[in-house]
Amino acid sequence: MATACGGGGGGGDSSNPTAKTLVSISLTPINPSIAKGTVQQFTATGTYSDNSTQNLTTSVSWTSSVPSVASISNAGGSNGLATAIAAGTTAITAASGGISSTTATLTVTPPTLVSITVSPTNPSIGIGATQQFTATGTYSDNSTQNLTTSVSWTSSVPSVASISNAGGSNGLATAIAAGTTMIMAASGGISGTATLTVTGGGSADNEIPITVNGALCSGNSYLNKPCVSVTVCTPGTSTCQTIDDILLDTGSYGLRIFKLLLTVLPPVTGNLAECIQFGDGSSVWGPVQTADVILGNEPVVTVPIQVIDSTFGARPARCFNADTTPAAAGFNGILGVGLFTHDCGTTCVSSANNGIYYACGASCSGTTVPLSSQVQNPAALLPLDNNGVLVQLPSVPLGGISSVNGKLILGIGTRSNNIPSSVTAYSASSTTGEFTTLFGGRTYNSFIDSGSNGLFFTPPPASQLPNCTGANAGWFCPTSTLSLSAINTAASGTPSGTVPFQIGNFTSLTVNSFNKAFVEIGGTFRGNFDWGLPFFFGRNVFVGYGGSASSLGSGPYWAY
Amino acid sequence: MKRRLYALLLGLGLAAAFLAAAGRVQATLGESEDSVDSDKTAIEATGLSTVVHNGYTVRELRSVAVTLREYVTPSGIIFAIAWNGQIHPDLTPLLGSYDDEYRTALQHTPREPGRRRLHIQTNRVVVEKWGHMRNLQGRAYVPALLPPGVSVDEIK
Repeated sequence: MATACGGGGGGGDSSNPTAKTLVSISLTPINPSIAKGTVQQFTATGTYSDNSTQNLTTSVSWTSSVPSVASISNAGGSNGLATAIAAGTTAITAASGGISSTTATLTVTPPTLVSITVSPTNPSIGIGATQQFTATGTYSDNSTQNLTTSVSWTSSVPSVASISNAGGSNGLATAIAAGTTMIMAASGGISGTATLTVTGGGSADNEIPITVNGALCSGNSYLNKPCVSVTVCTPGTSTCQTIDDILLDTGSYGLRIFKLLLTVLPPVTGNLAECIQFGDGSSVWGPVQTADVILGNEPVVTVPIQVIDSTFGARPARCFNADTTPAAAGFNGILGVGLFTHDCGTTCVSSANNGIYYACGASCSGTTVPLSSQVQNPAALLPLDNNGVLVQLPSVPLGGISSVNGKLILGIGTRSNNIPSSVTAYSASSTTGEFTTLFGGRTYNSFIDSGSNGLFFTPPPASQLPNCTGANAGWFCPTSTLSLSAINTAASGTPSGTVPFQIGNFTSLTVNSFNKAFVEIGGTFRGNFDWGLPFFFGRNVFVGYGGSASSLGSGPYWAY
Repeated sequence: MKRRLYALLLGLGLAAAFLAAAGRVQATLGESEDSVDSDKTAIEATGLSTVVHNGYTVRELRSVAVTLREYVTPSGIIFAIAWNGQIHPDLTPLLGSYDDEYRTALQHTPREPGRRRLHIQTNRVVVEKWGHMRNLQGRAYVPALLPPGVSVDEIK
């Protein structure tokens, strides 16, 4: 009940006949709007009969008409502090004695985003791997919400890692190169960050050791034999075995392993087999079987391989001399990483008379095979390093050495350890994989073959490359080591480049020597110029698959 | 009948002809080009062409798996063969009377792992293989039957 006071005297406290009286109370702010969970401080100002004013915030009695929308405190230290509880509107008033204030209307709006947290905060992953980030928003009412699919994701150094804003993969980062990048999630003006570290500048995941007649080769291996080991697993399991003495072969395509060494593959249930012949007329026969293959530390690849087994089915006459044992063949298996991804290709897709693939029941007859079922290079199926390989072997001194350690690096330009530099690419025929070599006035069709253990060619007339006598008759025995050079030209006609090479006396080099790796050995070949393993010593040799591409161009190509 | 068929094909010049499965046009080293031995395995040719050279003729039979070239003397005798393709052809029907000595020599030839080529020389015939996956190659010839002036290098 308000009592208006007119002029002086009377109407006041009987104990203080001259005291002013409170006439009105006003509130500020009048019409605030705040988000749920936030607070609003109100101030009550009293006006007195003598027109003086006074801040009465701490002495009035505060009221919220709809306490469920906002409460208002009358506690010492927080007098007049309204707390927004739920969306809606409430009337805030203050009273003292019999005086009530004007009404302030407090509107509570939905909670606002206050901060964003990105997790994990500081992960570290390898090149090619992915990391899922989550954005969590915290609101003015302390509620939280997963905002991963609605924020805008950015990577401060996109060359280190990219991050997706695409539906279904929001917040998924992919590591590209070693380094650090800041991952940010932003919405409106609010953002949160995390730090992503990508490791593996010289990533070992795509590197596979090669030993030329070293630890990975069987004890009595022939000269200049590059060996790797391969891990094979029972498909879909982690039951694996690692097999060494696998010939690294840039002259063939696909993985072949002798059955008697394979313990992790179940008995063959399919009827597809193949007869694979080689340049020397030797052959391997056996069924095609799907296996899980691990090269280096790469992800597992599920791929058809050839299980070498001369006893499988009714071996066709073409494979009359199929190797029966690793000792007979000179290897436990072959990893073919040459210019073509599949061992046969489109010929075997369209014609049953391909002479390679057979369907075996009571007898074996020629059959077509779709590309996906053909034996093919496991490395071509890798998620990242699938466009070719780099063979890196160190130089070998004249006179030879007992063994050599090098690397097979999977992929071309896919990681920091396989970026081509200071090499020239030479395109190869898309049917034969060959280019041309000019040597001693003679032009040859040529190829680069790590499975050949010397430099093999028909010597031009007037060359000083006589054959050795006796058991070494196929090798050259010049009277002294010759320094020679040839010119290689790409199948397309350009570019051309000079290749120096040396040929020494094979008999002198090998008699009474324990050395097994030689750069200066060669012998007679018919037709082609076969740049065998000596070509690889001291070079980076890139093999670009047909159907793939890199900074060096579209395959098939050799680059060195 | 077979002579007329061959003459017809030759008259057409360079032509690809589809051959019935039973009509295998493929002859044997050292024998007349007209010899057709239909109960021996053949390369199942799907295309045929003939090129005349100086002193000899080359007849090329193409099949899916391999292309075979037969080198024929002016008097119609096959003195050499050469091939390239996904496979080496079965040499037994192609070598004919020379096959036995080839097989014997092969059995006595030590395996050379790491060497992607084969060279067999008997009293009467030379057989060579070389190459790599997707382009296996080879040739076989009877030196005594080479026409005068024809070099071994032309057999390819």
